[in-house]
Amino acid sequence: MFQPEALKEAFQLFFTPEVFLWMAIGVTVGVGVGAIPGLSAATGIAIMLPLTFTMPVAPALGLLIGLYKGAVYGGSISAISFATPGTSEAAATVYDGYKLMKRGHGRKAVEMALASSVTADTASDLVTICVAPPLAMVALKFGPAERFWLVVLAFTLIGALSGKHIVKGLLSASLGIFLATIGTDPVSAVPRMTFGVYWLAGGIPFIPLMIGIFALSTMLEEGIKLLKESGVVEKVKVNIVKGFFKEGAGLTMKEYLRCWKEMLIGFFVGSFVGFLPGLGSTVGAFLSYGVARQVSPDKKIGEGVLEGVAAAEAGNNATVGPTLIPLLAFGIPGSISAALIGGALMLQGITPSPRLFKLYPEIVYALFMILIAANAFNFGIGRIFGRLYTRLGLLPKPLLVPLIFVMATIGSFAYRGNHYDVILALVFGLVGYGMRVFGIPSAPLVISFLIAPMMEANMRRALIISHGNWIQALLGSPLSIGLVVATAILTFLSLKLKASEIARGGIEKVV
Amino acid sequence: MKRVRKWLRRNQGIGLIFSICLIVFLVYLELTPWVHREVRDGFTLGFFPVVGVVLLIIFSVIMVFDARRREVPEGVEVFTFKYFLGGILILAATGFYFTIMRKIGFLIITPVYLLFFIYILGLKSWRKCALSAVIMTVIVYGVFTCIGVRLPPGILGRILPF
Repeated sequence: MFQPEALKEAFQLFFTPEVFLWMAIGVTVGVGVGAIPGLSAATGIAIMLPLTFTMPVAPALGLLIGLYKGAVYGGSISAISFATPGTSEAAATVYDGYKLMKRGHGRKAVEMALASSVTADTASDLVTICVAPPLAMVALKFGPAERFWLVVLAFTLIGALSGKHIVKGLLSASLGIFLATIGTDPVSAVPRMTFGVYWLAGGIPFIPLMIGIFALSTMLEEGIKLLKESGVVEKVKVNIVKGFFKEGAGLTMKEYLRCWKEMLIGFFVGSFVGFLPGLGSTVGAFLSYGVARQVSPDKKIGEGVLEGVAAAEAGNNATVGPTLIPLLAFGIPGSISAALIGGALMLQGITPSPRLFKLYPEIVYALFMILIAANAFNFGIGRIFGRLYTRLGLLPKPLLVPLIFVMATIGSFAYRGNHYDVILALVFGLVGYGMRVFGIPSAPLVISFLIAPMMEANMRRALIISHGNWIQALLGSPLSIGLVVATAILTFLSLKLKASEIARGGIEKVV
Repeated sequence: MKRVRKWLRRNQGIGLIFSICLIVFLVYLELTPWVHREVRDGFTLGFFPVVGVVLLIIFSVIMVFDARRREVPEGVEVFTFKYFLGGILILAATGFYFTIMRKIGFLIITPVYLLFFIYILGLKSWRKCALSAVIMTVIVYGVFTCIGVRLPPGILGRILPF
């Protein structure tokens, strides 16, 4: 229930120089952390959390929420500039972003990423503010069976991410499923597929996999190309200083408005994924990207267009606000970052629970204000960072490739301080390079690697709950049946779209 | 022999090689005892990994017979073992660089690694290579240190105050 007195108090809490200062610091650190491979929003929040111990609650929230938003956007900067997603959320941005960068439109791509991130983020924040409690109720209705079908629904989008040769996409997805089974069995907690290697018992971590598949494989390909090329010396001599000060054209309003459909898709998909605990912004980004490709096949998303960047970035940033819904309404954090923000609230003596809206309405309202205001800071500070990074991305390849190798190696190590992660990143660099050579797309591998464990765990949980009755376990609720129907419709539409693509000449090249 | 090599570069050939390797791997898995160990919900420990391998085999076999079987992937067309070995060496050098870095420190080994890498990739002026290598090392070290990530200090850790 709306409380005008609490709103007045929230204004007093929010409109202070400290809140604005810490929000600016949070966004700056967040964009910086996000742009560095291996460091995620959660890492940044964890680093900054001790600073909030002595702060009043509103500046503390300003710092952490600003950092969270900045980091989710920041990942896209290095994804576009160096094909190295700074955070897992930005992995889907690499496909179109880096192609735009290579064509000299890096600044445009980064500004599109920023604009779509801020747009979808603001819209999803408004949703969070308006419908937090009822949405949280829906989220709580999602049990293991419903989650299982939601993941199956996500699998149907793999066709859209497969490119021209759907079998290779499915092969890539199968490899993702297989890799996801390495580690520990989710029910019995017994190691499997580790071949006696003890450090594989925890499974393959996502960050080294992502750094290997995206950054190292791309740079390996570029490095091999450079080794093959001759006469590079002259080009490099000319470009070394010029490259850094060269600046491409920025994003125009017309280009921004042209991507409205992709931003809308990102907003809806991201908001939906965001309020379901556990799925996370990476899934939001890939789903949004996949849906946008399905909806607009004529826009050639995946071949280096702004629409691809808009869909992926809107999809990941739209999860930020809704991730806080389960935390605020029920005290259940929807992601690691949300858990850390919840931790910061608890350090201030405020326990996130269903009674939070009743006990501390002024804090909740101030948090809503911070959610909205942080977007403005993100827009301003993100532009500066974006410009700097895209200039770095324009550096000559003989300088850029080794630099990325160093950053990727350090990034893999910095993630957990584990040197085995560097080995994994190098191995996946080779795997990713092999996939590029054989024309096997990497997106299905990444998305299936992320969602396959959720599918397995939820299916097995549902079966345990229903004592092994498969029908009861997987089709026991109207929501499950609804999701099955949605999956069937989406599969049918995907196949129909693919068939019409082929009929339009998609397999003309077959010899 | 030339025809066989040409055939192997097509999707059919790639699919066939994948299928054979994966079938061998599946047989190996099936012969491993842990795969058949039953866990408390009735599934065997190897059920889901085997599902992953079976899916890989199915799609590899489809590649041998589907409509695009005769296509040669763009990457395979330009692929040469000589440069692929160059790529392997780059990765091995990066692994070696990281191992050495943990012992003697980031600030000492990184400029050396960058210097050689930049030179090999085409910048043939040693002076520019050295300058770029040092500048890049300082920037990377500065950025990671600023955000609280401690890079291996190595022997310099005893001399430098940061």
